[in-house]
Amino acid sequence: MKKFAWLTLAFAVLASASVGSATIDNLREFGRGSWNEILRSHTGKPTIVHIWGVTCGPCRTEMPQWGAFLRERPDVSLVLIDADLVPNERGAVAAMLDEAGLGSAENWTFADAFVEPLRYAIDPQWRGEIPRTVLIARAGAATVMEGVADFDEIRRWLNAQQPESRGN
Amino acid sequence: MSKTILLSACAVLLSSLLATAQMSHQHGAKPACEGTTLACATKVTPTFAPDGTLWLAWDAGGFVSVARSTDFGHTFSPAVLVNALPLALDWGPDARPAIALDRQGRIAVAFAVFKDKEFNGQVFYTHSEDGGQTFARPAPITADAESQRFQVVAFDPDGSLFAAWLDKRNRAPARTRGEKYPGAALAFTWSTDHGATLSDTRLAQDNTCECCRIGVAFAGPGRPIVLFRNIFDGSIRDHAITTFVNPTTPGPIYRVSVDDWRIEACPHHGPSLAVAPNGDYHVTWFTSGSARKGLFYAHSSDGGRTFSSPMSIGNLDRAPEHPSVLAVANTLWLTWKEFDGTKTTVQLMASHDGGKTWSPPKAVAETSDYSDHPLLITNGARAFLSWQTLREGFRLIPLEEFS
Repeated sequence: MKKFAWLTLAFAVLASASVGSATIDNLREFGRGSWNEILRSHTGKPTIVHIWGVTCGPCRTEMPQWGAFLRERPDVSLVLIDADLVPNERGAVAAMLDEAGLGSAENWTFADAFVEPLRYAIDPQWRGEIPRTVLIARAGAATVMEGVADFDEIRRWLNAQQPESRGN
Repeated sequence: MSKTILLSACAVLLSSLLATAQMSHQHGAKPACEGTTLACATKVTPTFAPDGTLWLAWDAGGFVSVARSTDFGHTFSPAVLVNALPLALDWGPDARPAIALDRQGRIAVAFAVFKDKEFNGQVFYTHSEDGGQTFARPAPITADAESQRFQVVAFDPDGSLFAAWLDKRNRAPARTRGEKYPGAALAFTWSTDHGATLSDTRLAQDNTCECCRIGVAFAGPGRPIVLFRNIFDGSIRDHAITTFVNPTTPGPIYRVSVDDWRIEACPHHGPSLAVAPNGDYHVTWFTSGSARKGLFYAHSSDGGRTFSSPMSIGNLDRAPEHPSVLAVANTLWLTWKEFDGTKTTVQLMASHDGGKTWSPPKAVAETSDYSDHPLLITNGARAFLSWQTLREGFRLIPLEEFS
């Protein structure tokens, strides 16, 4: 009986490790220059950047809602940046992303103890409070939403973005 | 038999602590080096002994170390390790070891360790009666097993030791009742035998914010003043202050400022408190409330009952953070960190009229990598900035030329 419990535990650990591995592998290190890279790679597309962290209570509640939002709008250009105020552990970040159904999204994690330049690049006024959402319009104009996101407002914003001109 | 069980229980506990200590290597701010020396420390707590000697307590490589300097930080005595085995020391962004000395050179040190992955902590206390050559074996600061962090130790003007910390002991009974217990209680204890033994723990206030350092000063013997981020109704994490009526009776809790910061998360950004020779309280803090955002300063001439309207500090476009305030004779000092896009600077302002007007901010130190909080200390006559940075190591900068 005891042996069985051990085996179950071992399998559970193995299973959770294998689920998380793809997400960990795709989790990109956010360092100096990463913000510009994100902006460049999404140029011309309305983009939603959501900043979160594993130890942030409201983020724990909010992340599954982001997962649901991504299922509702799979076409949306969504970037998730883990930027906890405590140092970020890749395993825990990946596990929480998987749990929220966000493992396949574009995921980044802060990867430098000198966090000031990372925050400054995103917003010179930002001292690291999370959750935080930045809506970047096609032409680059950014709108900041502090705290837990209002998804109705995000939908309105998305719908208000000019469709890409199709050319002629 | 029971001894064997106890020993193996200790071994299990020890190996889990060691494992956590190793894990914490990847978690904490990356140190400059892997050892236990001052150069490898990411958090350094300074204090001046009444005899003018500078003392530092720091955590590095899983150990809390203590050393003294008689030449204002140019050279240090060989460091003494306070704990015998490496521990998973609390690497929370606002946590640091605490150290205080009395007039006879007795030393009190308190530090926290992480017990698990949920950031539950345990505060240990130790003291030295031989001028820091040896320390007693660190012992839990309280018998309660739930969680303690953000400890502070300070000797009052009569030489009694006051210790305060954030304590989650009331969380478990709340859970049993099916209730949530937000935050942590502000707990305290005293030692009336020069730090050798501590009295039973008492609670000053339930449901304070659980992740910010607290500010401690004295209104007189047996009368600590504690400044802390409280949780007001509706999850509003604004600052509150209490002045003890006597050693065991906290006074009324006054709100320092209605910033209206509704947040159900950890700001990791605690306040700082100083008392001027005329008894005025001077406080500085960070908020991101709906009423105001940024760093602020205010003063009180009525024992914390009312405060001046909050004065904004620093350049908002340079993310000012981690403010510290100090009163030395008739001069007040305020310091904080800013980031200009390439480097972090420590900004400084002085006031000679009790905080009514301040000199323009001036950068007094800079670095371009990870840095600890800038801290202000005094030897009674002069003001100093203490700053540990990854690149430059420890610096103690006298401030009189900037006044």
